[in-house]
Amino acid sequence: MAFIEIRDLSKSYWLHGKRIDVLRALSLDIERGELVSLVGASGSGKSTFLHVLGTLDAPVAGTMTVDGVDVLGLPDADLARFRNRTVGFVFQSHYLLPEFTALENVAIPALVQRMERPTAFRRARSLLDRVGLGARVDHRPGELSGGEAQRVALARALVLQPHVLLADEPTGNLDPVTGEGIHQVLREVNRDLGITAVVVTHNEALARSMPRRLRLAGGKVEPA
Amino acid sequence: MDEPLALGVAVPARPHARWMLRAVGAALVLTGIVLAALEVSRAGAWGPVLARLGLGAFGWGPLVGAVKGLVEARRGAVVPQALWLLGPAAAAWLVGWALVAAGSLSRTTPEPVTAEAAGTAHTSPLATWRDFHLGTLAAYGLGILGAELVLVLVQTALASASRGVGWGAPAAFGVALTLAAVVAFLGGFVGAARSRKLSAPEATIAVLYLGVPLPALLSVLPTLPALDATLGPRFREIIYLANLLGRPELGYWLTFSLLVLGLTLGILTGFVANASGRLDVRTGFELFVARRHVHVFRPRLLLGGLGVLLLGIIPPLIILGILRAADAVVERTRIRELGRRDPLAAAKALHEAQAKSQSPTEMMTALSVGGVGVGVMALIIVLSVMSGFEVDLQKKILGTNAHVVVLKYGDPQAGMPEYPEVMKKIAGVPGVVGQTPFLLGQVMVASEAQVDGAIIKGVDPETTGQVTDLPRNILPGGDIRWLAHSEDIPVRSRYRMDRPKDDDVIQMPKEAPSGPPLPGILLGRELASSLRVLVGDPVTVVSPLGGGMGPSGPIPKSKAFRVAGIFYTGMFEYDSKFVYVGLKAAESFFGIPGATGVELKVKDVDDARRIASTVLNTLEGYPYRTKDWGEMNRNLFSALRLEKLVMGIILSIIVVVAAGLIVATVTMLVLEKRKEISVLKALGVPQGGIVKIFLAEGLQIGLAGGILGLFSGLAWCLFIEKVGLRLDPEVYYIPSLPVKIEPLQTALTVLIAILVTYLASIYPALRASRVEPVEGLKGE
Repeated sequence: MAFIEIRDLSKSYWLHGKRIDVLRALSLDIERGELVSLVGASGSGKSTFLHVLGTLDAPVAGTMTVDGVDVLGLPDADLARFRNRTVGFVFQSHYLLPEFTALENVAIPALVQRMERPTAFRRARSLLDRVGLGARVDHRPGELSGGEAQRVALARALVLQPHVLLADEPTGNLDPVTGEGIHQVLREVNRDLGITAVVVTHNEALARSMPRRLRLAGGKVEPA
Repeated sequence: MDEPLALGVAVPARPHARWMLRAVGAALVLTGIVLAALEVSRAGAWGPVLARLGLGAFGWGPLVGAVKGLVEARRGAVVPQALWLLGPAAAAWLVGWALVAAGSLSRTTPEPVTAEAAGTAHTSPLATWRDFHLGTLAAYGLGILGAELVLVLVQTALASASRGVGWGAPAAFGVALTLAAVVAFLGGFVGAARSRKLSAPEATIAVLYLGVPLPALLSVLPTLPALDATLGPRFREIIYLANLLGRPELGYWLTFSLLVLGLTLGILTGFVANASGRLDVRTGFELFVARRHVHVFRPRLLLGGLGVLLLGIIPPLIILGILRAADAVVERTRIRELGRRDPLAAAKALHEAQAKSQSPTEMMTALSVGGVGVGVMALIIVLSVMSGFEVDLQKKILGTNAHVVVLKYGDPQAGMPEYPEVMKKIAGVPGVVGQTPFLLGQVMVASEAQVDGAIIKGVDPETTGQVTDLPRNILPGGDIRWLAHSEDIPVRSRYRMDRPKDDDVIQMPKEAPSGPPLPGILLGRELASSLRVLVGDPVTVVSPLGGGMGPSGPIPKSKAFRVAGIFYTGMFEYDSKFVYVGLKAAESFFGIPGATGVELKVKDVDDARRIASTVLNTLEGYPYRTKDWGEMNRNLFSALRLEKLVMGIILSIIVVVAAGLIVATVTMLVLEKRKEISVLKALGVPQGGIVKIFLAEGLQIGLAGGILGLFSGLAWCLFIEKVGLRLDPEVYYIPSLPVKIEPLQTALTVLIAILVTYLASIYPALRASRVEPVEGLKGE
C-alpha cells in the first residue's frame, strides 16, 4: 500500500450556475520519501489538488488515505491534528502572521499542539538557523524581504517534522537566484529527513530536477 | 458496504407513518384547545383569561394565565358546574404535542448518501449532522430546573438552619445562588459538550418549558389563594426574600435571568471546549494569539481611558492634542536633521512615523473599552450612592427607633402594666443588649406662638440610652435627665403676662415659680423652631381624647410641660414630629397603666428578625407580639431597594450598548483577520481554537473596560466621600451626598459586565470559526 493513496477524487465548483469539474476521478499513489513535481497550465486545478491533499478543501467524492488512514472522513479535531502534525504547507505567498516575529511564526505549529513555549522556540530557532535566517529571528514579516519571508514560511512548515510537505509555487514570487535557494532547502529536507514532498511549480527547470514529474490536465494527472 | 448501492438520495423509512403521527398529534392539540375554549366560554371567563394570555403568550405562560383567569372567573361566582372539561383538554393538548414530537423525532435508519461518481461516501460534515439531541435537551433542562430547585432547597435549608448560626436570609441566598448557578453552568456545559454545538432549539425548549414554570408559579402564587395555602409554606424563604424587594416578581425573574445566564455560559464553555470533538480546555496558545490581535493592556490606552473616565472627554483630548503636537514637532525636526546627513534613514523614519497611525479596528477597540468602562463606572457610582442613602437612612431610623419592639394585642388603653416582668424575661434572651419601656400617643403641642401635631413618646430616661441614640442626639443646653428631675430645668422668664387669656381649653401655662415644677419634655429641632421655643420655655400638650366625654363629644385634655432639651436626629420626620416625655408623666397624662411596650436593642441589626422570634418564644406568644425594624419600615426600605434595582437595570443598558460595540469590534477583527484565520486553520488550529481566540479578544476588551470602570468608579466614590458633594439641606436634609462602597455589589457589577461582554463576542467568534481554510488562501 502506497503512503498516499488517492482514488477517484472529484472536485467540482458551481460558478454562476455552471458546473466546473476541476478534478475528475483522479487517482494517484505517492510513496514515502518521494519528491514529486506537479506542473500544469494556469487554472488546471493544481492549487485545488494541493488543498485537497492537505485537507484544506473537501472533495465532492473519492477517497484519500495517508499511511492507511482515511483522512477525508475525519472529524474536525482529527483533521486539525492531521494538518498540524502530518502536513507542512508552503504557499505562493508566505502567509506569515503579521503581528508575530519570525521566531514566533515558526513556533506557532508547535504552540498549537501545546508544546512548552521554550521547547517550541528552541526548535524554531534551530530551523531558522537551518534556512539561514538565524540573525533575523526578532523581525516581523513586514521587515523581511520576500525571499526571507518565504524561507521563514518554509521553516514554519518544517518545525514539527511533518511526513508530507506540500508546496504551492513556493518560488513563484521570487527571482531565480532566491528561488534556487528555496529549492535547495526543499531537496535537502527531502534527502536528509525523508520528508515526502509535492511541489507545484511553473518552473520547468525545477520540475525537471525532481525525481518524479507529474502534469495535471483535464482533471487527471499524467506523468510529465 | 454490503447493502446494494443506492440510486440517488436515500429516502427515510415509512414517511407516511410519521406524517400520520404528526397529523393526529396536531389534531389532538387542536381538540385540547377547542375543549379548553369551550370550558372558558361556559365559565364566561373570556375576559380575565384573555387578559392573562396577553401577558405571557409563550411557554407555560398561556396555560398558567388561562388557569388563573378561570379561577378568577370562578371567584366571580358565575360558574355553573365543575370545570370537568379542563382535564381532558389539557390531556389532549399534552398527548397531541407528544405525538407531534414523536412523529418528528422518530429515527430513520441512517443510510449514507452515496455519490454516483465513485460509490464512495460523501465526506461533508452534513452527513453526520443531527438536528436535535434529546440528551442535550435533558442536560439543559436538568441544568435550569435543577438550578431552580437547588436554589429553593438550599435557601430554605440554610435560612432555616441559620436560626442559631447567625447569618441571615441574604447570606444564605448568596450561597444558594452560587450553587444554583454552578448547577446551571454544568447542565449547559455537559449538554453542549455532548452535542458539539450550541443547540439553540434544545436550550429554548429547556428554558421555556422547564425553567419558566417555577418563577411563573411564584409570580402568580399570591393571586391564587388555594395554591398559596398549599405551596406557600414550601417556598416561604424565597417569598420572604423576594418580598424584601417590595416587588417580588422582579426578584423572581431577575434571579431566573441570572440562572439562564449561568446556563448560557455553561453552553458556551462546553461548546468551545468540545466543538472539535475532543475536550480541550487549555487556552495558552489562543491567548498568545489573541493578545497580539488586540493590545488593550497598553499603558497608553489604559491611562487614556482612565483619564477620560475621571476627567471627562475634553480635558484628556486637549492634553493628548498638546502631547501629539509636541511629539510631531520633535519628530519632524529629527527627521529634517537626519535628512541632511542620511536621506535613506530619514525616509525610513518617515515611513515608520506614518505606519504608527491607528487602524480603525484599534480605534473601535479603544471605544469599546471606554464604553464598558463608562457603564461599569456609572453602575458603581450610582449603586454606591444609593447604598449610601440606604445606610444613612438606616442609621437615622435605628438611632431613633428600636431594633425590635415588643407589643401586646388588645386594647391600647389597657397598656402593659406588667412590663417589668416582661423585661426581666427578655433580659435572658441572647443577642439582646438593651431594653427600655415606652408609651406612645398622639398629641398636639402648643407654644405661645404656634400649634403643631406630634407623636409623643414616654421614655425611661435611665434606660432609653441603651436602645436609642436619643441622649446623644440632644443638642447642648438640654439634658435627658431633666425629664425625671424637672426641677433642675433652668426657667426662662421672658413670659409676657399682658397676653389675654381668653382660651380656656388650651390654657397658656402661667409663670409658676411657686408650686410643683412642670414636667420636662424633649422636642425635635424642627418642631422647636416652628413652635419658637427654647430650653426652659413652657409648652402645652393637648390630647384630643384624654378628657372624657362632655356634652358635645370628647373633651380634650391638656397639660403644661417645660422644654428640657432639643434633639437633632437628621431625619426631618423625626425632628418635626417626635416629642419625648418621662414615662411616668405620659402614664398619668394618657391614663394608660405601665407602658405601650418594650423596645429592644440587639447585637446584630441584620439578625433582628430572628431575635424577635426568639423573644416572642420566651414570652410564650399571645398576647405579646414583636416587630423588627425592617418590618416597621418595610415600605421605605423596599422602595429604596426597588429604586436601586431599577436604577441598576436602567444603567445596565449602557453596558448592553457597550456589548453591542464589542460585537461590532470583534466582527471587524474577524473580517480583518480572515486570511490569518485560514492560515491558522492550515497550521492545525481546530474550530474550537479559533472560537477561543476571538472569545478571548472580546473578553480582553471587557476585562480592560471592567477594570477601568472599577478604578474610575471607586475613585469617584472616594472623591464623593472625602471631598463631598454638597446637597441643599432644605431639600435633602443630608449635608452631602452619602456613599457606601459595598465590596460584593461592586464585584458583582464588574463580573456581570465582563460576562455580558464575553457573551457578546460569541456570535463573531462563531463566525470566525466558520471561515473555510481555503477562503483566505485564494486570490493572491
